[in-house]
Amino acid sequence: MDNIAGTKSSLSWAVHISVVALVVLWLIPTVGLLVSSFRDRDAITATGWWLSPFSVEQAYRVQPELDGVTEDNGYSVLEGNLFGAEGSGEVSGFGITARAPNAASPGQVYARFNVDVEEPDGTIDDTRLELAYPVGSDPAFPETDDDGNRILTDTAVLDRSLEAQVNGDFRYVSEGELRRAPSLYVTSLSPPRFSLENYRTILFSNGMDVAFINTFTVTIPATIIPILIAAFAAYALAWMDFKGRGFLIAMVVGLLVVPLQLALVPLLQLHNKVGIGQSFLGIWLAHTGFGLPLAIYLLRNYMVGLPRDIIESAKVDGATDFQVFTKIVLPLSFPALASFAIFQFLWVWNDLLVAKVFLPSNSESWVMTVKIADDLLGSRGGDWGILAGAAFISIAVPLAVFFTMQRYLVRGLLAGSVK
Amino acid sequence: MTARLYAGAAALALFAGMAHADGHQPFAVGEGGFSWDSFTAFADKYDLSGQTVEITGAWTGNEKEKVDAVFSYFESATGATVNYSGSDSFEQDIVISTRSGSAPNLAAFPQPGLAADLASQGLLSPLPEGSAAWIADNYAAGQSWVDLGTYADADGNDQTYGLFYRVDVKSLVWFSPIAFDEAGYDIPETMEELKELTDQIVDDGGTPWCIGLGSGAATGWPATDWVEEMMLRTQPPAVYDQWVSNEMKFDDPAIIAAMDEFGYFALNDDYVDGGSTAVANTDFRDSPAGLFAIPPSCYMHRQASFIPAFFPEGTEVGEDVDFFYFPAYEGKDLGKPVLGAGALFAITNPSEATNAMIEFLKLPVSHELWMAQGGFLTPHKGVNPETYASDSLRAQGEILLNATTFRFDASDLMPGEIGAGAFWTGMVDYTTGTPAADVARGIQERWDAIQ
Repeated sequence: MDNIAGTKSSLSWAVHISVVALVVLWLIPTVGLLVSSFRDRDAITATGWWLSPFSVEQAYRVQPELDGVTEDNGYSVLEGNLFGAEGSGEVSGFGITARAPNAASPGQVYARFNVDVEEPDGTIDDTRLELAYPVGSDPAFPETDDDGNRILTDTAVLDRSLEAQVNGDFRYVSEGELRRAPSLYVTSLSPPRFSLENYRTILFSNGMDVAFINTFTVTIPATIIPILIAAFAAYALAWMDFKGRGFLIAMVVGLLVVPLQLALVPLLQLHNKVGIGQSFLGIWLAHTGFGLPLAIYLLRNYMVGLPRDIIESAKVDGATDFQVFTKIVLPLSFPALASFAIFQFLWVWNDLLVAKVFLPSNSESWVMTVKIADDLLGSRGGDWGILAGAAFISIAVPLAVFFTMQRYLVRGLLAGSVK
Repeated sequence: MTARLYAGAAALALFAGMAHADGHQPFAVGEGGFSWDSFTAFADKYDLSGQTVEITGAWTGNEKEKVDAVFSYFESATGATVNYSGSDSFEQDIVISTRSGSAPNLAAFPQPGLAADLASQGLLSPLPEGSAAWIADNYAAGQSWVDLGTYADADGNDQTYGLFYRVDVKSLVWFSPIAFDEAGYDIPETMEELKELTDQIVDDGGTPWCIGLGSGAATGWPATDWVEEMMLRTQPPAVYDQWVSNEMKFDDPAIIAAMDEFGYFALNDDYVDGGSTAVANTDFRDSPAGLFAIPPSCYMHRQASFIPAFFPEGTEVGEDVDFFYFPAYEGKDLGKPVLGAGALFAITNPSEATNAMIEFLKLPVSHELWMAQGGFLTPHKGVNPETYASDSLRAQGEILLNATTFRFDASDLMPGEIGAGAFWTGMVDYTTGTPAADVARGIQERWDAIQ
């Protein structure tokens, strides 16, 4: 019997492993988002975030400028560096078509010949043949082409060729005159690329400061007002005896399941009728209304669990309900107040829908979420990097709030108060 | 306390607004190929100082900058203030704001279906007198644009509500001229040639098509465009119209055949980048990237004229990428049908300045101002094509003006439940293996249920 209470279960390692696995599982999307926030749109489209820390072999199209083309025996010759005059890099392969960008390795010549072939039935046809061979040696033609026709080596005429060295120096030879820049292809290892560009775009975009202030203007009152109201209501529902109390509590619990989307249009109509319209006052009221059922329910359940003895002894000593509320219940309810404040703050901070409905649509009243969704994400929302970066910027303030409020969530506040 | 906070926020907002209100008129009045005569006549006629026009629409980001620039000319001509705000969720926002009585003056609807819905609930006001006749006279294929902007009002009477502004041509196939050049491919003139080319690319070891249907909640819409194109290329336009109005049932063999025409390309693992299973999973914004990959992961991409916005940065249309008309069957004698879509302005809250804005949007110059900024096509016959920002846009404009048959995106015209719901999800089912007949029957059942 090794699983007796009090002794350590031998299965505790299984628990640890599953906890670690769960945490990793939870973290994967967040890590992916964080990595993506440092990448640009093209990189995100090209490879997954999990490949971003590695160097990838990437193919480029190079279209060198036609400077210093010389003529040699009816061929145009162009020399230069595949990485441009200033650039540098290491060529791992090169070619002359996009289909095979790394057909040859540095130190080789890659050439295309027009050549006659003899088909099995004896007819002569012409075809194009591409092959690579070391610089300085002659091309070694295969016996037959892909279709099994015999190659007549003597008829081979060079069409174009490219030779390249590891450092990017190249020599391009083409039949006739070069009219436009040739398309050359080169593959090289490109190091991982990360930048703060997304964060710069978000933080320094026009009007971000206003949006940030607007978010605070919405969030702070929309957190404080419902707490104030809910604390009074919760005390009344928990400790004051009046007719219909149970029914009221049931109503509040019932309201928890009503989706707020149902109320958007009628509520805005009401605001327009009483003259509030679309304004900050309107959104404070809306958030207060939407937050109250949960706030009252949460706080009442907490307050009803406070020891009856404390409250009754205060009443015996002559305290009024208001004094009991402010002097005893409120300080003891701090953990519940703090946890609801965190909830409400996060929800209002992240809210997009209510802000869009209850605030005017002009850019001066945009909160951060609206600014990100409607302005920064670009036409039809193709900028994933911006989206990822914006997520981490907008999470900063709620995180700070969470960690400052967390110390109020202490347990055992009541320990020892009642014998 | 709260009042002061509120005032503070308002003051801040005002200050920030003023800081970037000025100085974004990209073209000097009187210069270039623009029709400035109409502009100066308009400016002399209206003085609306102190009035404001509130406009909302679905143009955000860089498109918002362009439309703001157009509106800034209205402001300088009339003295009125224009507040345009773009929203990513415009379709929901406009319903909420019109129903709750805080509607803007004008709304730029991305497609007519929603405007028709709002009109039938009495939430839109008709365009000023004579607008229908004006559109018929001044737009290419004018009467069809009038019809697309005419809806039944709350009492069931037809009125003209919508003025089309900014049109997209959908019948385009994008390709990389360099890749075509290197492989020695010619631009196909007929659907038969397009299918031959598709096979030839496969024979050469390549993948011909990039198709991506992903679009968040709207996943599937690019496939509805494909089916619409195929309808126009296999059936006469009259049948297309019957399909839109559901006079012809969705599970009619003609429509199932059009779906299978799309399936010819999309359901063949050799024809599509990533195989047919990748079609529904690839985001439409990412799918053209295959054209630019080296080696190319596909050679062709069928998408509307707005897609260059999603090409990699620095891509030049005409050099790095180009387009050809999505061809019609030579053997079917249905002409050169063109599929399109477009945004329209409708009045949600009438005022004097709003009517003036509608008049402004009828001026050729209001179209030219966006044409010159790029990403804008118009059916307006009075504009100077020289003002198009690039040759490729001019060529797209010509495809639009020269179409023997022009039809509007069917899914935009069908009831929202079908055109922006069952049809989309049905096409996703189709590309993931459900037979066309089952998909079509499912959509028709939904349609029966809402009638």
